[in-house]
Amino acid sequence: MKKSLIACIFAMGMAFAHHSMEGFDRAKNVTLVGTVKQFKWANPHSWIELEVPNDKGGVDTWNIEMTAPFVLVKAGWKSTSLKPGDKVTVVGHPQKTGEPGALFVSVTTADGQTLTDRPPAPPAAK
Amino acid sequence: MKRFGITTAATAALFAMALGANGQAPAAAEPAQLGALAPANIKKDRPKPGFDITGTWLHAFSRDNPFTFAPPPDFKLTPAAQVHYDAAKKARAEGKAYHDDIGQCWPAGLPVIMTRVWPIAMVQKPTAIYMISGFMNSVRIIYLDGRKHTDPDIIIPSFNGESIGHWEGDTLVVDSIGFVDDHHWLDNGIPLSDKTHIVERMRLIGDGATLEIEYTISDPKDWVGEWKWTKRWKRVDDTDITEASCLPDLNAHMPSVTSKSVNIH
Repeated sequence: MKKSLIACIFAMGMAFAHHSMEGFDRAKNVTLVGTVKQFKWANPHSWIELEVPNDKGGVDTWNIEMTAPFVLVKAGWKSTSLKPGDKVTVVGHPQKTGEPGALFVSVTTADGQTLTDRPPAPPAAK
Repeated sequence: MKRFGITTAATAALFAMALGANGQAPAAAEPAQLGALAPANIKKDRPKPGFDITGTWLHAFSRDNPFTFAPPPDFKLTPAAQVHYDAAKKARAEGKAYHDDIGQCWPAGLPVIMTRVWPIAMVQKPTAIYMISGFMNSVRIIYLDGRKHTDPDIIIPSFNGESIGHWEGDTLVVDSIGFVDDHHWLDNGIPLSDKTHIVERMRLIGDGATLEIEYTISDPKDWVGEWKWTKRWKRVDDTDITEASCLPDLNAHMPSVTSKSVNIH
């Protein structure tokens, strides 16, 4: 039964949201190197606020839209996976408008650990 | 004694009427409609229900069982609804969202609330089924205690409507009316009105592991005739629903719903 829930959830792919996803360009990825300002562990969606240096010498605050925590748990996340001040690299689908916002794909922390919103692949059969 | 314009004599007359001719207080009459959770209602003799739906259910998304309630190929909208449909089509072509009210914290409402990607907890009593969605904890109640729909003059419009069910063998037939007249959508650009009428035929199949619902929906304010779909849910025994609220700080951090240039309201 557990497999069926996970299969259902991940078959949904990017449909896993409570609203329209028209605003994101899901054919593109943007890579953001920055500092976590906030990581919110909340229903129905978690999010990351990421401070990213811009080419004008300032900092842009990006909102990274994530899925629900119960999905993230199955992908190995904890509420403590990110904390303010963490230096991270986030990959996301950017907004079509160019505004500083993205739909979460993955994050890589300073110690090299990468987290996505999908569970790790099962070990290959011997 | 005279308080608030009532004399002592009038007060005595009122007491006499309340006590009755023998001076004894009459036994409390049973309310016209007992609440669904009133023990006296639950204990009433009723035919055996066709199934027990109690459990946690998740819409079983697949290509032939989509989340959406798309219109049939030969659909015909009313002129008012056609305006919305055309505007939504244009918005999609421009990569924009049209009236994404759910994203703005409006309830999804029936039937869309049934096919969200969060599980639904369902608890069945002899008198009612309580459904709580893991999406915004939206509550839906299906009354099974034989009551009729509320008088249209006093029914309180809601997004999930008023649902009354009756058993036809192993099928629960649920009739729902009493919906709100705005911010409620069947599909992108297809509104639902206060004239919406939803009939669901619910069955448990596959040893009770699958819930199947046949939908028949009409809304004469928005389209001509009845539209039908069949949807399926899987029992998911390894999860529970959790508290979920649409809060201001949620949307402030969701680029998909805050971008003014993408969302058309």
